[in-house]
Amino acid sequence: MTRPIVVVGAGMASARLVEGLVARGLGDRVTMLGEERQPPYNRILLSAVLEGSHRPGALALRSQEWYADHGVDLRLGTRVVDIHRDRPEGRRTVELADRQELPYEQVVLATGSIPTLPPIRGLVQVDGRLHPKVHAFRSLEDCARLLDALPTARSAAIVGGGLLGLQVARALSVRGLRTEVVEGGDHLLRSQVDETAGQVLARSLRRCGTEIYLGARAVRLTTAGLRLDNGYTLDTDLVILCAGGRPHANLARRAGLTVRRGVLVDDRLCSVDDDRVYAVGDCAEACSDAYGGQPHGFVPPAWEQAGVLAARLAGEDARYGGHRLVARLRATDLEVAVLGDPRHEPGEIVEVSNPIAGTHRRLVMRAGRIVAGTLVGDLSRIGTITQHFDKGTVLGVREAGALLLPDPAPEGTPGGMADLPDDAEVCACAGVSAGRIRACVSLAEVREITRATTGCGGCSSTVRSVLEAGAAVGVRLAGERREAVRKTSPSR
Amino acid sequence: MTDTHCPYCSLQCGMTLERNGSRLEVRARSFPVNEGALCRKGWTSAGLRGSRERLTSPLIRDRTSGAWEAVGWAEAIGLVARRLTALRETYGADANAVFGGGGLTNEKAYQLGKFARVALGTSQIDYNGRWCMSSAASAGNQAFGIDRGLPFPLADVEQTDVLVLVGSNPAETMPPAARHLDRLRERGGKLVVVDPRVTATAERADLVIQPVPGTDLPLALGVLHLLDAAGMVDEEYVATRTTGFEDVRRTCASWWPERVERVTGVEAGTVRALATLLGEAERVIVLTARGAEQHAQGTATVLAWVNVALALGMPGKEYAGYGCLTGQGNGQGGREHGQKADQLPGYRSIEDPADRAHVAGVWGVEPGSLPRKGRSAYELLSALGTEAGPRSLLVFGSNIVVSAPHAGQVAERLAALDLLVVADIVMSETAALADVVLPVTQWAEESGTMTNLEGRVILRERAVTPPEGVRSDLAVIADLAAALDAPSTWPDQPEQVFTELRRASAGGRADYSGISYDRIRAEDGVFWPCAEGDPGVPRLFADSFATPDGRARFVDVDHVGPAEELSAAYPVHLTTGRVLAQYQSGAQTRRIKELPDEGPFVELHPMLADRIGAHDGEPILVRTRRGELKAAAHIVTTIRPDTVFVPFHWVGVNRLTNDALDPSSRMPEFKVCACQVTV
Repeated sequence: MTRPIVVVGAGMASARLVEGLVARGLGDRVTMLGEERQPPYNRILLSAVLEGSHRPGALALRSQEWYADHGVDLRLGTRVVDIHRDRPEGRRTVELADRQELPYEQVVLATGSIPTLPPIRGLVQVDGRLHPKVHAFRSLEDCARLLDALPTARSAAIVGGGLLGLQVARALSVRGLRTEVVEGGDHLLRSQVDETAGQVLARSLRRCGTEIYLGARAVRLTTAGLRLDNGYTLDTDLVILCAGGRPHANLARRAGLTVRRGVLVDDRLCSVDDDRVYAVGDCAEACSDAYGGQPHGFVPPAWEQAGVLAARLAGEDARYGGHRLVARLRATDLEVAVLGDPRHEPGEIVEVSNPIAGTHRRLVMRAGRIVAGTLVGDLSRIGTITQHFDKGTVLGVREAGALLLPDPAPEGTPGGMADLPDDAEVCACAGVSAGRIRACVSLAEVREITRATTGCGGCSSTVRSVLEAGAAVGVRLAGERREAVRKTSPSR
Repeated sequence: MTDTHCPYCSLQCGMTLERNGSRLEVRARSFPVNEGALCRKGWTSAGLRGSRERLTSPLIRDRTSGAWEAVGWAEAIGLVARRLTALRETYGADANAVFGGGGLTNEKAYQLGKFARVALGTSQIDYNGRWCMSSAASAGNQAFGIDRGLPFPLADVEQTDVLVLVGSNPAETMPPAARHLDRLRERGGKLVVVDPRVTATAERADLVIQPVPGTDLPLALGVLHLLDAAGMVDEEYVATRTTGFEDVRRTCASWWPERVERVTGVEAGTVRALATLLGEAERVIVLTARGAEQHAQGTATVLAWVNVALALGMPGKEYAGYGCLTGQGNGQGGREHGQKADQLPGYRSIEDPADRAHVAGVWGVEPGSLPRKGRSAYELLSALGTEAGPRSLLVFGSNIVVSAPHAGQVAERLAALDLLVVADIVMSETAALADVVLPVTQWAEESGTMTNLEGRVILRERAVTPPEGVRSDLAVIADLAAALDAPSTWPDQPEQVFTELRRASAGGRADYSGISYDRIRAEDGVFWPCAEGDPGVPRLFADSFATPDGRARFVDVDHVGPAEELSAAYPVHLTTGRVLAQYQSGAQTRRIKELPDEGPFVELHPMLADRIGAHDGEPILVRTRRGELKAAAHIVTTIRPDTVFVPFHWVGVNRLTNDALDPSSRMPEFKVCACQVTV
């Protein structure tokens, strides 16, 4: 049987793509090739696994059997070394490391990204392997190796103060390790947020017990520890590399496809050079994404692309029009959300900052819409703000400001029960006002005459208070008025 | 003194009616669901008697002049029968259609289904229960093999540890039920309320979650994701009492809290708090109501929450599990005895040969003479007066121009009919469009059984003599059947009809054969299934589920989202619901003078109000792709700022709502659509 669709990579983007193809009944046309030994899993939750809040077994997106049951030929531990795309129709293949060639009609590159290895001497041993103290943190295997190292480790230095670095730092702190973050830039999360937000975040992180070295580069790993270019040497049991990554595009380069940061694709997710080659996820660079391509490592845009591509491969006319990114830090006690690109997006700024309380919130507004934003330390309105951001809601002139402030206190906040106006409704079930309750002498009378408290029962304590307050301050209606109240009672 | 039950919602509170001269007085009665409590609708329920608006004579409308003429019963029945016969002869049996309601007694629902299939020979019958709990019904059948709203008595919720109400507001929709919530909390149990609004029910909750309308499903996926991540799934229960978990688990692996937050508008930390609460509890009950169910993905939404309950090992465990809070008085019984397009009495299938043979035997007709399944409620209404659709409609116990979605279009379809006949107690908005209106008896003037939200069959007893000129629905059906020269027998006494219903339901999923009026009186109601000689089953699933292999089914569902997305022109979510003082289309409650009727209103957040320049109490305009409504603004901080709420009891509101249907339950998407709000 020929399988005309070959997907190179078995990560999160591929998993989504293949699910989309299976949903369209195309499972038996697909070969999926993954270098890792595991079927696709939820890579972005590795830091939760590290923290101990997520079972490793709960990461799998689909089981190997699922792929088999739906006709997909999933091959794990398989590396693709070349794409022979310049051959005539019917003879185009991808070549595997074992020299085997698989014919394709359409090939999808979903090779993800590779972690950047920072220039630190001593990181790699003479045998080419990482120093035993040094850990990458990209795959389940990396995570397992790091977890194995934890029982004997008391401290960890994290190289890189981006989202992943902070998540790893917090995860290890929660595990009881002393953690230090080394960031070459002048503030944390520098790809996402401005300096003020970074400073607020640094303050919160230090409060959680993590030391931070800004504007400092790790230069050498020695037996004394990790030496920084500012003269410090961090005595650490573990060095974890979270210095970002770059699109894994070697295969595309080798095949002569245009690669900028990633494999350059148009809004059909098709390589600009070959309309039989597609790319999605971290390895791709969509022309339609703003600011020179999507920052890598985020699942929602990759999944949106996978959804579009699944539709296209099934013959539907779907196009990828770019993505509104919301980056969220997943780390205990650190609340961060970044909407869009608040550092570069032009617009008017609405900002509420309280570094003492550890909060900094900034919305970038253009033509009444939230076009970017930073929320640090207070996510109480995130569920509304991201909805407005995603839907492009045009807000009122005071609304962006209101979103960063607490709700106004409801009008007529009740004072004492004696102050409750006579026409204030006390019992919604029976429709009874405070005045009618005051006209009664006892709870029994309230029940009998007004029916208050006889429905859901939620007003019982209020009714008692109104009765008591009435007795205390002598609020009592004249006999005549009480009679009138009785007459208007229901069912009497 | 007559012991009976309230005429309104599915709680069916026990009450006693006492005659006092010409007046009928309501007294609360201790019954397990309400324990002597009533809400103002119940207290004032006798108020519709003697209303000046009560219809007491059949009426015929002249289509050219619009004038109504009062006629005798013989003339009205004769006219209707002649027209129905003529339409059937010209266009075939499916030219005549019947529309029932979830407020009708079991006897009426049964007889109406039989009338359609036997007297009219039409497949075209359905009822407004499709707009009530049909999504939960469909989900219950898929997951548990049975559809009984609550698989346990309502009072069981007091004994659980965590109660999750998804899209349910009992404190306003069935106030006496809220007492059980208070008792739960007095015991130290926790209450979680999931609702876009902080309702009177949510005010009592320990945890309030306010998702974007239409996103209860991904919230459930996110909860299950966290339960699995934390190893809080009851693996032994899943292995021994269920099937299908693996696919569900993998689907949920994609719903990490921050993704759920993005879609639902619920902060990830709140999703975590809910999962922790559920995972650590010994007993959990999840109840859904219309807020979760009235969506184009309503069935899937319910299934997602059922999956949470199953993964925690709850269904079948004492004081734990999943249930649906049915809305209409006889929402449960009304869907069991044959007024639903695909059903025969006893929750039998109209497509199953054995089921057809059994029921045909009871009715004394050939199985082959029974029609097959017909259109579902909204599809039936949409087809009226079209080339392929029915040309007449008989309406019993429903006010469809108020309660149907996209109601403007429904009114157009009704106008296109050759014949519209409405049986009602007052000139409802739908009756006003009819060619023939038949005045019928109401609650307290007739007896009959109802099946409440717990699956408990209860008896409403006749307390007073009906006014001169009205007939019971059963008598109307019997008269029409006679005039149509229909086969089978057509008793008009409720207890006789019930006796036949018992036989027809015997051996079915909803078996009533062991239930009698006397047993109901003696036992505070009887829970189905109850075969002859059985005690009835208050609690289901202790040992097995009603599926062929006895195991519950996990059904793999994923989020698709509302049928109508927000857009620049329609940037706000619209959701609908009830208020305390009104019931359904308001045909009854609006005519009771003690119940305040301030008309519809639009609830919105101060931020949205400020954006559009709205002021509290002043009118604002809500517009959707289907219609518009002007109503007073109620500015409250208790609603999501991206959502407005309008109560649905008034004509005009459902002109706004979306008629997108759930693929399995055919439930319309009442609970979310895109709207524009302006002053």
